[in-house]
Amino acid sequence: MRFLMSAGVLLLLSLQSVELYSQVLKGDAQRGLRVFWQCRSCHYPEQGLAHNNGPSLWAIFGKTAGKQAGFDYSQPFRRAQFVWTPQLMDVWLQDPSKFLLGNMMMNPGVPDPQDRADLIRYLQTFKE
Amino acid sequence: MVDSFNRRRFMLAAGASVVATSLPSRASDEASAVKSWDFEADVVIVGSGAAGTTAAIEARRLGKDTLVLEKLLKRGGSSAMSGGVVYAGGGTELQKACGFEDSVEEMYDFIVTAGRKHPHLDKIQYYCEQSIEHFSWLQTMGVSYKPSFTKTKGLPGSDDSLYYSGNELAWPNREKVRPVPRGHVPGHSGWTGGKYLMAALHHSADQLGVRFMHSVSCERLIQERDGRVTGLRVEIDGVVKHVRAKQGVILASGGFIHNREMVKLHAPELYDCTVPWASAADFGMGIQMGIGAGGSAIRMDQGFAILPLYQPDHVLKGIIVNRAAQRFIAEESYHAVVGNEICYRQQGEAYLITDASSQYGYEDYRVEEIARASSIAELEFKLSMPVGALQHNVSYYNEHAEKGRDPLFFKDKAYLAPLNQPPFVAYDLAVDKAFFTSHTFGGLHTTINGEVLDPWGEPIPGLYAAGRTTSGLPTAPYIASGISLGDCTFFGRQAGKQAGGARS
Repeated sequence: MRFLMSAGVLLLLSLQSVELYSQVLKGDAQRGLRVFWQCRSCHYPEQGLAHNNGPSLWAIFGKTAGKQAGFDYSQPFRRAQFVWTPQLMDVWLQDPSKFLLGNMMMNPGVPDPQDRADLIRYLQTFKE
Repeated sequence: MVDSFNRRRFMLAAGASVVATSLPSRASDEASAVKSWDFEADVVIVGSGAAGTTAAIEARRLGKDTLVLEKLLKRGGSSAMSGGVVYAGGGTELQKACGFEDSVEEMYDFIVTAGRKHPHLDKIQYYCEQSIEHFSWLQTMGVSYKPSFTKTKGLPGSDDSLYYSGNELAWPNREKVRPVPRGHVPGHSGWTGGKYLMAALHHSADQLGVRFMHSVSCERLIQERDGRVTGLRVEIDGVVKHVRAKQGVILASGGFIHNREMVKLHAPELYDCTVPWASAADFGMGIQMGIGAGGSAIRMDQGFAILPLYQPDHVLKGIIVNRAAQRFIAEESYHAVVGNEICYRQQGEAYLITDASSQYGYEDYRVEEIARASSIAELEFKLSMPVGALQHNVSYYNEHAEKGRDPLFFKDKAYLAPLNQPPFVAYDLAVDKAFFTSHTFGGLHTTINGEVLDPWGEPIPGLYAAGRTTSGLPTAPYIASGISLGDCTFFGRQAGKQAGGARS
């Protein structure tokens, strides 16, 4: 039941976010590099550095959440079926504690919308 | 008229202040006001990182009912996010297996001489004397180490378990005390030793029957009229609960780097560092609760400020200068010592000056190139430095580097080379511009057994603390990786034994 509620909230948030995110914000990868610094205690976006305390973020967009080999995901992410998009990343980073209840993110998130847009643009540069 | 108006506003404001302070937000709660207890244990521990978990293990081994309260969903705190290095020595099993001799005296001398003036000598001595036993204890708790040494500068990404984790090889330390490697890191590839360390400690705690509760926000300590701490007021899902601690409360909830107002008030030098480095729970609540119960907080300005310039190591062939173009340290010094100099002694500003052979050669995420020139004179101009200052200092450096010398800071010859191949590039090393991580070291004043002391040096009955909630072995400058986690694991154990052995 809790999972279903989480999925419902997720869908609602993502629909709202798609609209807000696409209308207002344009990310800057160079600024995003700095925003991402706080994430480096747990995540690497560079190819070949694999997982840290959090999963690798190499080419993260387009991947199904919680399914990368070699990382021990929390149960909510193991059961997740969605694909990472910039819009969902924006929702996730806004407040990780409210996205997939019971996840194990150790960071309070990125409250500033422009910072999130910059961070997401930065992550988009890590791909094949 | 204006004065009268202002006076009235002041009086109104003062009245509001009285009303505000009369609301139920005391620094600690009175036990007599608690109508019933929702949970109880012999020993209640705040925080499930290295300090809290080792405390819990020792209290449980004394047969005590032990309850750990964790604010986040996941156990482990900042310890689990760290490299997992424990600074150990005196001749540990791992040191011997790797062919290194060490002694308690040399380990003590290094910590005392390489760090800040007037450290906690009693804690350092106790820690060094017990280091062999403590490392064995960690192994007994299931932490695994591989008996191999690596010369790697910085946290090994390999599975080697022993390395020089601090400033042992840099001048002047290498001349004062014989360098010995004391960085003990779990034998796993990658930089996630803390995850493995904490997984082993949590497994041991679980096996022993330590109880853990997550998503518990601890708000205030509860004290009897005589000052004895007998419990905590906590919030779970927004509902206030009361937790009784029959023998004692151990505060082990980390430092306060994520409480930005607290950092600004107590550790202003760290405030501008770009990357607060800790779990989200490092919010200072343990320290504040301890102060609220009458505890003394000390050395609150101290912490680490780390600029991880290496790896790659070849960039250390450049020179680090301040705004006046002056060098101030041997560039290959432990990155927390370099960071400390920039943060605390150079007003947070510095530059890395490189030539073609000492540049990164790619766009590194840690530092930004801010000037590029075909000559040192042009670079100096672009950096707005005093005319001739950088030219003079590079010329002086080059003159001696060509002969394999550094008369100022005795830089290791492995990193000593003249800067004479254009283009010349300057990287900005300012605390608010570069990848500058920070973490706090100030906290509650405690005995070597973890008893929290009041301003008069008297233990507060029933109150203990450990780890970064206390002021312990780590000081500014931070002289070696593993000093903090070593302090957490060792003095966490002492607090657990002291609280577990206390009378009910």
